[in-house]
Amino acid sequence: MITCSTCKHSNLDGAMFCAECGAQLIGKEDLITQNISTKQFGEINKEIPSRDIVQAFEGSDAWGSLHLLDTGQMLPLSARNEFTMGRISEGQPIMPDIDFSPYQAYAAGVSRLHGVIKREGTRITFMDLGSANGSYINGKRLASNVEQVLSHGDIVALGKLKMQILIKHA
Amino acid sequence: MPSNKPDYYSVLGVFRDASQEEIKRAYFDAAQRLHPDKNVAPGETELFLETQKAYEILSNPKRRSLYDATLPPEIEVNSYIRHEVYFSRPNLVKLDEPQLIYMLLEVAPRIEKEELPTPPLNICLVLDRSTSMQGDKLDMVKATAIQLLRNLRTEDVLSVVAFSDNAEVIVPATLNLDMKKQEGRIQMIQSSGATEIFNGLQMGLKEIHRTLDPSRVNHIILLTDGQTYGDEIACLQLAEEAAAQNIGITGMGIGNDWNDIFLDALAGKTGGSSSYISKPKDIQRLLVDKFNALISTYADEVLLEFKEQENIKLNYVFRLQPEGGSIQPESPIRLGPILRDTPLQVLFEFVVNPAASKAEAVTILNGSLKISIAARPIPVPPIRLILNREIRIHPSTEPPPARVLSALSRLTLYRMQDRARAASERGEFNDAVRHLKNLATHLLSQGEHSLAKTALFEADNLERIHAWSASGAKDVKYKTRALLLENKKEKAG
Repeated sequence: MITCSTCKHSNLDGAMFCAECGAQLIGKEDLITQNISTKQFGEINKEIPSRDIVQAFEGSDAWGSLHLLDTGQMLPLSARNEFTMGRISEGQPIMPDIDFSPYQAYAAGVSRLHGVIKREGTRITFMDLGSANGSYINGKRLASNVEQVLSHGDIVALGKLKMQILIKHA
Repeated sequence: MPSNKPDYYSVLGVFRDASQEEIKRAYFDAAQRLHPDKNVAPGETELFLETQKAYEILSNPKRRSLYDATLPPEIEVNSYIRHEVYFSRPNLVKLDEPQLIYMLLEVAPRIEKEELPTPPLNICLVLDRSTSMQGDKLDMVKATAIQLLRNLRTEDVLSVVAFSDNAEVIVPATLNLDMKKQEGRIQMIQSSGATEIFNGLQMGLKEIHRTLDPSRVNHIILLTDGQTYGDEIACLQLAEEAAAQNIGITGMGIGNDWNDIFLDALAGKTGGSSSYISKPKDIQRLLVDKFNALISTYADEVLLEFKEQENIKLNYVFRLQPEGGSIQPESPIRLGPILRDTPLQVLFEFVVNPAASKAEAVTILNGSLKISIAARPIPVPPIRLILNREIRIHPSTEPPPARVLSALSRLTLYRMQDRARAASERGEFNDAVRHLKNLATHLLSQGEHSLAKTALFEADNLERIHAWSASGAKDVKYKTRALLLENKKEKAG
């Protein structure tokens, strides 16, 4: 018998997926798409964006892309090496390069100048610019004005607005 | 290309070491099908004479051994078909409890795609014209039928039958139609009456028979939007008869009110499955897709015959492509067609009982594949399928082959949906809700947000009112099934 680690269902020996909850029982390292989260609510898992999104991204000339998890929007990063991120509101002196106001940025608690994503060679970094509600990488709160290295698949949250960072391999 | 003159063993579709009993049975089967009093297609009488000659030689041991001496050595490699088998694990384990093993079977043409002949079609559209089809649905069906008729190649035959409580031939099965007149007749189809599928199916088969020819792809496409009452069993029998003559059946259901389990069973008898048309505007696309699939048919049927092995149970069979669908796990199994660009892929789940693991090795499957290739009326030699696994003390540490794993991973979603459906039908709504919620979790983690939402919505419905929404069960079923195929295509491409 194989006992499923997720739901404790007993499966026959040789089973590859749990007959009850569908969790993968063996050979997990080969396929990550079937894992289901047992982590507590609030923590963020790395998610794999759907294949066509990745393919579209791979075909473009962008060096990176922001995949907004709530709406599925892709925002390609190309042409320049530095983008400030935030939300445009009336009477604002400095405008962010990437404006999240169409994606419910205000409700999600995005500051007007929230953070900046930078590319230096192959190194991609993110820095919180002293935002009101803070920034998170994979669920971990960042200190303000400190650069953090990003890797492909990281989930960055500006307040509650979550996005996955896709980085093209050089 | 292999020589076109098959040896007598191929003519009867038996192996060279076949017993007299097997030869006799093969001959009787062929004779029943091909006898001049019964056969329908041109060339079958010649084939019948050929099988008679084969039987005369092979049924007599003396003549048979003389004949055997003249044969070139048996070519182990089948020149038409390539098949591969992948197991979920390299060996079984000595155990006191039942264990599972999965097998993925892939069957594809051996010859390069470009060299394959394209068989002409013999297709009958059997259209539901009951009152409920009125409006968009019937208009769309008519427009698509006319479009298909216009796009036919000169060698193709397309007949059209409309049915409600009675059936009527709208376009007869003949070559060289007067297009203008036939289009007019399709336009004239009016909706009225109730849905009685048997009538339509019977009339459709009759039309198919007019131009029945083993070198064509013979196929019925049944379009309906309703339940048929009381004639299900008769319909299934008809489908079985059709299957015996290599006539395929596809069922397409429009809207919410048709019986998907019945249509799946009906199509399943011939190695096909049903499809779901949620909106009238999809009718055209799905029908045209189906036509293109039929045009690219390489083999219209792959038949798996096997002897039941002691202590081994074939538990579950699922066709992953070309058309996803679960298959009755009883010999003989109609596995489905092979398309020129889409090989047949079928997944088998075997349960091995502890008694079998006492030996050093166990035969999981002992059978053969019989394949009828369209555009080639003479049978190709069958493929023997004897699959053994060793039994070891320790389980293998080797990871399962990636393709088996990925096939199972996608199938898992479909089976969860299946379980939810089965549980709801037994009235165990709590189980159904749990299965649906589990399904939704997996869908979310794979980025299928909208389908996950649908599953959650249905879980909610089952929880509150103990019923699916009108389209719910079908939505979840056919969309998880479609997921199976989409991923497949991406992988191939």
